[in-house]
Amino acid sequence: MSLSLTPRSTRSRQQVPALELHSAEPWPENAALYQQLKEDQILLSDNAASLAVQAFLQMCNLPVRVVCRANAEYMSPSGKVPFIHVGNQVVSELGPIVQFVKAKGHSLSDGLDEVQKAEMKAYMELVNNMLLTAELYLQWCDDVTVEEITHPRYGSPYPWPLNRILSYQKQWEIRRKMKAIGWAGKSLEQVLEDVDQCCQALSQRLGTQPYFFNKQPTELDALVFGHLFTILTTQLITDELSEKVKNYGNLTAFCRRIEQQYFEGHDKDGSAAASARSAKRSLLR
Amino acid sequence: MAAPMELSCWGGDWGLPSLHPESLTVMAYAKFSGAPLTVNTINNSWSTPKADVPVLISEDTVISQPAKILNFLRKQRYNADYELSAKQGADTLAYIALLEEKLLPALLHTFWVEAENYCSVTKPWFASRIPFPLSLYLPGKMSREALNRILLTRGGPPLYSLTEVEAQIYRDAKECLNLLSKRLGTSQFFFGNTPTTLDAFVFGFLAPVYKVCFPRVQLQEHLKQLTNLCRFCDDILTCYFKLTITDG
Repeated sequence: MSLSLTPRSTRSRQQVPALELHSAEPWPENAALYQQLKEDQILLSDNAASLAVQAFLQMCNLPVRVVCRANAEYMSPSGKVPFIHVGNQVVSELGPIVQFVKAKGHSLSDGLDEVQKAEMKAYMELVNNMLLTAELYLQWCDDVTVEEITHPRYGSPYPWPLNRILSYQKQWEIRRKMKAIGWAGKSLEQVLEDVDQCCQALSQRLGTQPYFFNKQPTELDALVFGHLFTILTTQLITDELSEKVKNYGNLTAFCRRIEQQYFEGHDKDGSAAASARSAKRSLLR
Repeated sequence: MAAPMELSCWGGDWGLPSLHPESLTVMAYAKFSGAPLTVNTINNSWSTPKADVPVLISEDTVISQPAKILNFLRKQRYNADYELSAKQGADTLAYIALLEEKLLPALLHTFWVEAENYCSVTKPWFASRIPFPLSLYLPGKMSREALNRILLTRGGPPLYSLTEVEAQIYRDAKECLNLLSKRLGTSQFFFGNTPTTLDAFVFGFLAPVYKVCFPRVQLQEHLKQLTNLCRFCDDILTCYFKLTITDG
């Protein structure tokens, strides 16, 4: 199968990169974002990822409805949530979704120059490298959290013994990854130190600006919002993680600002504001 | 007076003080901050540590991992970031994360996974510096760990085969190099005229790719097109490592 320059109609779907085939189609009204069940199943890191994508799409003014399915992780093409179903396309994770949306002609970072784009990408990697890894560590490597929160939630839609098998399988997978990148030897205090360092860097970069690149939000703002808002509004065993973020006033103000601008006043069931006020989560103070 | 500090790390070749990115990062930072380190390169004797290299030994303290070593040096008042603003300090962390996520997998692959490179260059070089019979086992272990790390961090669906993962990590690495080149622009160092932590990390990751002569060199070829990054590496080598170049 080679990509030759034949007219679109004669090429089969497999031969054409998906982005090219559908870039001409406008964003449909029935676009859907899939994640795990909000109340009982979804974990901290997945909720952060899902919220980041929702924030990004809101910032681009692209309507999407949030659909909660217990098997969202398995439906996703990359095994990670969230994923969006737009027309005939299924795209998962923030990076590919940003590319997909860009191919449809919407972009938040077009106004940035090359150096700023490099900076934006670097900060997104910082969030993935430190915040996301710390969230995964807390969820899957801290024994108390694993026993009391993660295992019950992760397997909640399934009957015994499937719920335990799936949780242990996932835990083993994540712990292998932590070991490979050198995080398995870290203690919880060290991980919280890393979170603090990351928040400090984000706080210093944000400064007194409304968004990271001054007046307009970009995908970096969406990603940071997704993670920080989830950390601030999720009740864990202790409040240590959210305290680390609360130490930085401009970060909490940033989260509040984005929540007010992009999520309040939208009375959809799947809005972030609604999910933040669900029973298991404490309110953003 | 500060206690004498000794650094154990892998040695160098091809004009570099060390082939190992993390060792090179620490050595570069020590030069930039003026820290008086005695460098002990790992050799065939059994007394030098082999695991968790580079290792800094100062009196009773033993520290491994570059980030911790650099923190220790800063606490001892050897601080190369003294003049940076808060925002520049934050940028440093972000770019280091970018290097680790996007460039490191391809670097590990070039050194340890790419079969021709590993068999003809990496394995003989490291094995010659490790005492027998550890030399039969340790390079293989390092290679397996590198492959493991690449597959666990980058090798999930929709990439199902090693070739697809390889293609993706090299794409990411080339993009990372382009981003670094744009960020550096025409300046001598990343934050003006004096080198800082970020310069140490970038140098540590780029110099091995730039200088080591491998049979399979797609990353090196891409790097050589980014002349400002090559000039950056050469400048640091000539200004800060001139003694070790002549020792070679």
